[in-house]
Amino acid sequence: MQIFISGGCKNGKSTLAQDLAVGQPGKLYYIATMNPADDEDAQRIVRHRKERAGMNFITIEQPVNIEEILEKCHIDGSFLLDSLTALLANEMFSPSGDFDENACERVGAGLEKVLDQIPNIVIVSDYIYSDAIQYDPLTETYRKSLAALDALTAARCDVVLEASYTQITAHKGSVSHEIY
Amino acid sequence: MILIFGGAYQGKLDYALQRFGLTKDDVAYCTESDRTCPNRKPIVYEADKWILALLRAGEDIDRHIEQFFTDNREAIVICNDISCGVVPEDPILRKWREEVGRFMGEASQRSDEVVRLYCGIPTILKGEK
Repeated sequence: MQIFISGGCKNGKSTLAQDLAVGQPGKLYYIATMNPADDEDAQRIVRHRKERAGMNFITIEQPVNIEEILEKCHIDGSFLLDSLTALLANEMFSPSGDFDENACERVGAGLEKVLDQIPNIVIVSDYIYSDAIQYDPLTETYRKSLAALDALTAARCDVVLEASYTQITAHKGSVSHEIY
Repeated sequence: MILIFGGAYQGKLDYALQRFGLTKDDVAYCTESDRTCPNRKPIVYEADKWILALLRAGEDIDRHIEQFFTDNREAIVICNDISCGVVPEDPILRKWREEVGRFMGEASQRSDEVVRLYCGIPTILKGEK
């Protein structure tokens, strides 16, 4: 099953995603997308690793070029890709300070390949579209691009979920088992 | 009136155009610099921006919004949900966030149908499901 999950920060997306990925058959892959930029990120990675410890995930570091997971993994496994947010940021903003406004198309093409070939995958994104802040044009391009990737993924997935403080709304399809 | 709302870039306008068989010529595009009441087209797009224009011009919001609802009884009103973030530092944006919230509550009450878009997927919150 292909499942897309979004929602606000600290709403339980990653925990839900882990449980759903574990429930699918085959080798279990965690696709780690974060390019740690500072101490805070490093700590976040340590916390996420602890949470996954004992769950038998094979961790694959793939901060850019998401389609490369197709060569590194058995495509009949169960995948957890967390998150589109980081993938896009890594492709759009380079460490040297460059900005690539076409990153969305590149990530989108990679995602399509992944969704074409991997039947069991849970993909996590972040819902960053409902505040009253006016952003600079680069941030706005990033928001718009992430929304386009979300919509592309949601359109292709069997199930689309929104996590709201450990509660789940199914916008498309459904999942049967109790998560929390 | 039909209210369609959702976060930024969630596919609100595409949904309305497709569902009602309308084109971009049928859309009144609001901007944050134009305070004329959008009331001549079947679709009002981004009513929140019109409210920001009113606030920036120091207009009497309540009076304008009342007029908006009178003029747009048959319209499809599309609005960005800007209610779920941190309170903005800028006092105008702070006021804007609240006025848009009040506007949406009122619009929702007056509408026969209320639809929320999420990642391109509609959920009908009010009306025939």
